[in-house]
Amino acid sequence: MQVFYTFGIINTTNSSTMETKPQRPSNYLALAIVSTIICCLPAGIVSIVYATKVNGLYEDGRYDEALKASNNAKTWGIVSIVLACVGWLIYVLIFGVAFLGAVGSHDF
Amino acid sequence: MTSKSKLIIAIPLAIVLLGVLSMYFLWNPTNYSFFPKCPLYALTDIYCPGCGSQRAIYQIMHGNFIEGLRHNYLIVLLGVVLLYQGVLFGMHKLYQKSLYNILHRPLTVKIILVLILAFWVLRNIRFYPFTELAP
Repeated sequence: MQVFYTFGIINTTNSSTMETKPQRPSNYLALAIVSTIICCLPAGIVSIVYATKVNGLYEDGRYDEALKASNNAKTWGIVSIVLACVGWLIYVLIFGVAFLGAVGSHDF
Repeated sequence: MTSKSKLIIAIPLAIVLLGVLSMYFLWNPTNYSFFPKCPLYALTDIYCPGCGSQRAIYQIMHGNFIEGLRHNYLIVLLGVVLLYQGVLFGMHKLYQKSLYNILHRPLTVKIILVLILAFWVLRNIRFYPFTELAP
């Protein structure tokens, strides 16, 4: 149970002030980090840059801009991952088939 | 999205992920040419922050943590963030507890951005001790 207190449960007592605020948009940081480290594409960095903006804008009360930054972070992260997956698949298919062909042509 | 349509996406995704991971378990990317090279490195001769992650994943899955980390130290960051998000997600799903997510603090995100950019620059300096950061 200690873990709840160290990280802090969201305080339900400020619900009156929370009502006026729209929901905090996700900054998709985990997605951005995955796309940066696994996908080898600079698009992941763009995603992290947008992720840095989300919460600052939200806390300044600029909710529309925060939401826009959040969507940008998501889009860049997903684009990066999809491009990497497609590229990876094409590469592995082309060179994997060539590799299997080379193995198959040898007489063991 | 309904929970059923989520499952329809999640199950094939998990199977594909397992398949890909087992590829990286079975074949060492250093020795087999069918693993893709980093496109940025191939085009510009510049290492990207993700370079070496394929070799790192292979080594870490074979228990060689130090060897794996030396290919790409950012794997630690990736592991920690994914684990943290996973725990938070699990807490939310299992116990309906919404914990404060430190990844949503502007400062945390900025530190991570600076860390990745610094790592990117430093690993491209081609003399000791920075060569230690290169993949």
